[in-house]
Amino acid sequence: MNLAESLRLAVRSIRGHKLRAALTALGIVIGIAAVITFVTLGASVKAEVVGQFDDSPANRVFLVASPDDDGGPPAALSQPVFTEYDVGRIEDIEGVDRVVPRGTIATSALSHGGETVARDQVTATTPALFESVTFRAGGPFADAESGDACPAEMVVTPSAAALFPGNLSVGDRVSVTQRGNRTRNVTVVGILDGDAGLNPLAGFGSQPRFYLPSCAYDTVVTSPTTGTRQNVYPQVTVVAENPGDTAAVQDRVQDYLDAESDAAQLAPESYAVSAQTNDDIVQRIETVVDRLTQFVTGIAVISLLVGAIGIANIMLVSVRERTKEIGIMKAVGATNRDVLQLFLVEALLLGVGGALLGVPVGVAGGWIAVTYAELPLTLPLGWVGAAIGIGLLVGVVSGLYPAWSAARVDPIDALRYE
Amino acid sequence: MTGDVASGEPPAVELDAVSRTYTRGEPVYALDDVSVTLARGSYTAVMGPSGSGKSTLLNLVGCLDTPTAGTVSVAGEDVTALSSRQRARVRGEEVGFVFQTFNLMPRLTAEENVALPLVFQGVARAERLGRARDLLDRVGLGDRTDHRPSELSGGQRQRVAIARALVTDPAIVLADEPTGNVDTETGDRIMALLDDLHAAGNTILLVTHQRAIADRAERIVRLRDGEIEGIDAVDTGGAAR
Ligand SMILES: Nc1ncnc2c1ncn2[C@@H]1O[C@H](COP(=O)(O)OP(=O)(O)OP(=O)(O)O)[C@@H](O)[C@H]1O
Ligand SMILES: [Mg+2]
Repeated sequence: MNLAESLRLAVRSIRGHKLRAALTALGIVIGIAAVITFVTLGASVKAEVVGQFDDSPANRVFLVASPDDDGGPPAALSQPVFTEYDVGRIEDIEGVDRVVPRGTIATSALSHGGETVARDQVTATTPALFESVTFRAGGPFADAESGDACPAEMVVTPSAAALFPGNLSVGDRVSVTQRGNRTRNVTVVGILDGDAGLNPLAGFGSQPRFYLPSCAYDTVVTSPTTGTRQNVYPQVTVVAENPGDTAAVQDRVQDYLDAESDAAQLAPESYAVSAQTNDDIVQRIETVVDRLTQFVTGIAVISLLVGAIGIANIMLVSVRERTKEIGIMKAVGATNRDVLQLFLVEALLLGVGGALLGVPVGVAGGWIAVTYAELPLTLPLGWVGAAIGIGLLVGVVSGLYPAWSAARVDPIDALRYE
Repeated sequence: MTGDVASGEPPAVELDAVSRTYTRGEPVYALDDVSVTLARGSYTAVMGPSGSGKSTLLNLVGCLDTPTAGTVSVAGEDVTALSSRQRARVRGEEVGFVFQTFNLMPRLTAEENVALPLVFQGVARAERLGRARDLLDRVGLGDRTDHRPSELSGGQRQRVAIARALVTDPAIVLADEPTGNVDTETGDRIMALLDDLHAAGNTILLVTHQRAIADRAERIVRLRDGEIEGIDAVDTGGAAR
């Protein structure tokens, strides 16, 4: 018997039990749909995160002190270990254009013109951060040479300016209430053109951000090397002079960090002080997202397994019910192989049919999840193709035993079967 | 008797000391040491009380069942020694089986039922259905080709079953009470069909309870309790053939 013939007969017997076939295939539909939904969500999250990194220049090396295991968010847990001394030393390393330390100043509130806004932190950094960044108005704050008075200046993002009624504009005076109720009066000197963070360590999310000069920073430590009290930063960005040298600069900076830095001595036990490029960070994030996707997809695969068992179960019932028909077919010349093929094709149709239905349901599910999470949709097309293959596989595996038991039916017993 | 053929050709069917025993609790000897030969082109009727082993005999010849002892040969081939695949071929190509209980596929139409044996021989769909319609015409069901078995009367189902048995143009036709469920008129029609087949050179083995039907054959094998009670030649003068 050729395949077209078994297909025709299989379609017939599926049509004979439409509801049952639909419910059986539903198991596969749900399984495949769940897998595709989660894989789509994972792929979209990854594409979004990685896409942001693609926008940041390739000549950056990021220094962080993070728990000494692979994976994990690199920046969020970073400990303040990089002293002013380290920053100075790294500036002198060959190929380094500039070094931008970054830390947060704990605050309780910001006020302007009698209006007070609660705010638990502002960012302390150097004007180097704003190089090649566009301003909507004004410009960066002044560089604080050591010994000079700290510039009483601030840079804000548009949404930060909008926190105050009538918006902050360049020239407005703001008082920042720092830890210990110390108040710092500053003048807004620049309003940035967007709300995104300016490097991966700060996160890319759009949120109100306030920037003060590093001299306003208030986390200090005694430098193990110099023995003086100094600012100590959790995150440092090193900009290489030449993007092509980024890897070499990364190696040199890492060598310095390992050998003689304050950071290595200040880092808590089980923390690693590391210099990472964009690619390194992308890789770590990808690893995290992948692992999460795999985990959730694994759960979805279990539901696929349940679907497969459903097919096997229904096929066994079907073989039982159609024992007489099997007997008739054998009596008129069907071989064991013909019968096997017939039932296998039927199981296969249920599997593939379920998968074909599951793909659009899964894509729709992924689209809804992605839209809800406000991410751009990235379709893992390979998985959509794989779903069909999985449907085939599920059909074959779950149909194999029932089909085999159908093929073994003895014709004379089957004809007597009532 | 009719079994001795002058030519070197093997007989159509030959049973040699065949027994079929069921051992379900007390052993049942459905057939007990039966030997019979059907020459090519012969027409044999099997009679006997209910439970005497008539259907068992047909099932053995039709390769649906295997004997507990003895050998069954079809066209000179010992079918008890064949693989299941080869037995399927014998069932599909060498013999046409008309069952006592029709055994039609409930979800297939009359013409699809008739064409079913050809599906397993790889005959193309159009040709298959064409042949099926021809045969349904021949049994007088040309206007019922699209009916399912549940939409046919008992006699009509019987005729579909006969058409199916003939669709592969088998050399041997096995018919288990083909007139058991039909009125005399339809019965006559079926018997006329078997007469035609016999005239065309097919070997026919027919089970019946009716003497009048059995008399249309060339000889009658009488079974009782699984044993051959006797084999009678029919007086051909009466049938005018
Ligand atoms: N599967 C089985 N298990 C046990 N005994 C069986 C089985 N099949 C048939 N028999 C027995 O074998 C004997 C012969 O059965 P068979 O069907 O050949 O009778 P028959 O001559 O065709 O009868 P009828 O005229 O009623 O159709 C019966 O006594 C029956 O009970
Ligand atoms: Mg019988």
